[in-house]
This record gives sequence, structure tokens and C-alpha cells, in this order.
Amino acid sequence: MNAPGSTSRPEIAYVLLMVQAVLWMVAGLSALPFVLGGEIHMLGLGLATLLLALFVCLVGIGILWRRRWARRVAIWLEALCVIGSVLLFLLPIGANHGPVAVITNVVLPSALIWLLWGSKTRAVFA
Amino acid sequence: MYSVSASHAIGLIGGLIALPLALVGLRFHPRRRSVPGTVQAAAALMAVTGGVHLALIPHHLDSEPFTSALFLLNGVAFITLAASFTWRWWRLSSSALLLATVLGYLIYVGIGLEGPDQVGIATKLVEVTALGLVLVPVHGEHAAHRGWRHAAIGVAMPLLIVISGATVWIVDLARPDARHVHAGALLQATNTIPTPAQVDAANHLYAETMAAITPYQNWRQAWAAGYRPGGSTSLPSTHWMNQRYVDAGYVMDPHRPQGLVYANTHHGPVLLGAMFQMKSLNRFGPDPGGPMTAWHQHENICFTPFGFEFSLMTPYATCPIGAIDISAPPMLHVWIVDNPHGGPFAVDIDPSVVAALDRT
Repeated sequence: MNAPGSTSRPEIAYVLLMVQAVLWMVAGLSALPFVLGGEIHMLGLGLATLLLALFVCLVGIGILWRRRWARRVAIWLEALCVIGSVLLFLLPIGANHGPVAVITNVVLPSALIWLLWGSKTRAVFA
Repeated sequence: MYSVSASHAIGLIGGLIALPLALVGLRFHPRRRSVPGTVQAAAALMAVTGGVHLALIPHHLDSEPFTSALFLLNGVAFITLAASFTWRWWRLSSSALLLATVLGYLIYVGIGLEGPDQVGIATKLVEVTALGLVLVPVHGEHAAHRGWRHAAIGVAMPLLIVISGATVWIVDLARPDARHVHAGALLQATNTIPTPAQVDAANHLYAETMAAITPYQNWRQAWAAGYRPGGSTSLPSTHWMNQRYVDAGYVMDPHRPQGLVYANTHHGPVLLGAMFQMKSLNRFGPDPGGPMTAWHQHENICFTPFGFEFSLMTPYATCPIGAIDISAPPMLHVWIVDNPHGGPFAVDIDPSVVAALDRT
């Protein structure tokens, strides 16, 4: 039986953040081959994305350890992701609207915000 | 890879139907509170992937009975495990099933029995997430093999996501369908073999365009006419765009092509050809040469304003930070230099041609 007042929301959020970190990592790695073709700015973007992936991973560990800063950072980060993704979906620039784009760019960040939001969840963070 | 296969679309509906059913089932499960939320979330995701697999059976039954049988086994196993999350061996069985399902899909895609599409990739993402939820130990829980489970999350999840993405991407680039070429460019639908009239029309378009853009072999004349480099000049070639012609929306006018393509050689820009571009997405231009002059539209490219550079969107629909996913309106190139690997209207210029120009 679960202890009264206990929640595993931080663990679920941790897993989702790990998934998101790996997706960022893949995005960062995907930019690097283009550097060989002469697109030098892609090197900076790729490395910045890899650093973001590492940061998201650390935030995930912070969430697992119930750190208050990690919860705050994660909520802001995911809110930015959702806003950016919704803008991309609304602008007529031909962005992909497939189910994978919806899952990775909207559902996953929204689920993280939902998991970390609220006073009950906040109470478990030190 | 970036679209939903017609035969798999029903899988999405199956997954979406399974989700609320799973949540209702969880809500009224008598022993729900005896397991942590991670287990309940994993059970819900496994019900979703079970729903996807079961929904795919009817479309595959006639043509692929063996695959249908596997879908049935997989779907039933997922639904059964989703419903029996209090079972003692649940974590082990669920991990094994999820791992086997992801690897099985990759083998199927790798050997060409299945084409990678959005439903497949989305389902694998759900399964890898479910695997993480199955494995993660919960705070305060007396969990066996805690360290091993954390290590498995740190290794198995990244490996599965990277291997799945790489497999799907490689297969998609190596075996594109008939309408996708050149790293995802979507070709205009045309007849297969050009008619004599279409060959004449293509030759006429080529001759007229070549005559019209010959003055631009001197790049200063192109500059004077309003053409400007539309990207980095450190790349082998650069499209020079005329914003006035782009805005005006001239349709395949040889005297007013929206773009010119120059090779960036050590002795300055060398004209490779012209580029006609439509004003809006998904509207292909006139196609006088049939398959010879098919337009193409670049989709799912990651564009960054830093240096006006491009990369390709990953199978997981992500771009590097600082780049956004866009599509470019349909375009048609007319190469005035010899392009042995694709001809005068090919989607791309042969890189060896550009390299040779740089050497001369």
C-alpha cells in the first residue's frame, strides 16, 4: 500500500524528462553531419542542443531527488516548449503536424507541467 | 517516415480508444492503490500500445497473416499485462515484452517488411516511455535491484531511442518511396514515361531558360537585377533569390526565375542554373515536361536564421535549438551545366560537377 500523501509524480516526470533529454540529444547529433557539408553554424546549434539535453537530464535527476529548483526549472522549460510548439503549429510555415510531433512537442511537455503543477506536488519538493 | 501510412491510421484510433478505457479500468481496479503511480501510468501506456496493435490486424489480415498473428499476440499480451499490474512478475514480463516489441519492429523495418511511418514511431516512443515507467523505482518503495533498475533506465532508454531513430532514418533515406527523393523532398505526381510532346516542351523550357539567364553568368548582372545570396557562401553552392520575383509570384517565367544557383568556387560564383518557385506550399507549378519537369517541395527541414542554414528534422520531430521545422514551397531547377546524374531538371546538382567547377 502506498503511504498516505506519497506520490510518484516526480518519478513519472523523471522518466519523461529522460525521454525528452534523449530526443534533444538526437536532435543535437543530427545537426553535426551538416557541419561537414560546410554549414558551420550547425556546429554551434548542435553543441548547444547537446548541452540542453544534458541540462534536461540533470533537471530530471533533480526532480527525482525532489529538489525545488528542479521543479521550477522544469515547469518553465516545458512551458517554453509548449508555447514554441503551439506557435509552430499555428504559423503557416509547413511545420510537421503528425502524431510524433504532437507527442514530443506538445503532449510530453504538457504532461510534465501537469505532473509538476499544484500545491500537493509542490509539497513533496524540499 | 513523416506521414501516416494509410493502413496504419486505424492504429492511432485504436490507441486513442484504448487510453480512456484503460484510465477507467484503472480508476475502478480494486487494488489500484497498492501500486505506485508509475506502474499505473505504465499500464495505461501499455494498454494504448495494445490498442494500436489490435487495431492494425484487420488491414494486415489478408496480405500479411503472419504479421497479423504477431499483432494479435502482442496486443493481447499488452492488454493482459496492463490489466494485471499487481502480478508478482509484472515488471519482468512487461520489460521483456516492451523490449521485444521495440526490437521486433526495428527488425521488421530493417529488413523491409514494414515501412517506417508516424504511427510506428509514435508507438515506439510510447513503449520506450512505458519501459522507463516499469523500471523506475519509487521514492520510499522497498524496491529490489534499485541500482540495476536505474542503470537500465540510463542505458536501455537512450539506446532504444537512438537505435530506433537511426534505423528508421537510415531505412527512410535508403529506401524512399517513389515520390520522395533527395533527403525527403516530395516530388510532384506525374505520368511515368514522358510523351514526345512532353519531351519537346521540356526541351523548349530548357532552351528558353538557358537563353534568359545566360547574362547572369556574370554574377554582378544578377546582383543588379535584384538577386541576393539566400544562404551561406561557404557552402559548395548557394541559391540567390530575387525577393521581388518571389513576391510577384511569377509562375515558371524563364525571364523572371525566383532564384539562381551559383557554385561558390575559388574564382567567384559560377552560374549552375535557375530555380522557379511557387508562392505557397503544396501548390505545384505547371508541368509541361511530365516526369522530366516534376516540381519538388522540401518538407520537414530544420531552418536556422543563423547563417540561413538547414538540417533535417529527426524522426522524433525535433530540430536543434535555434532552428525551426519548415517546408519550402514547390520548386523546379533548370541546370544549365551538364548534370550527368540527374539531367537538366534534377532535384539537385551532382556535387562532383560543382567540385570540378571549383578546380577549373
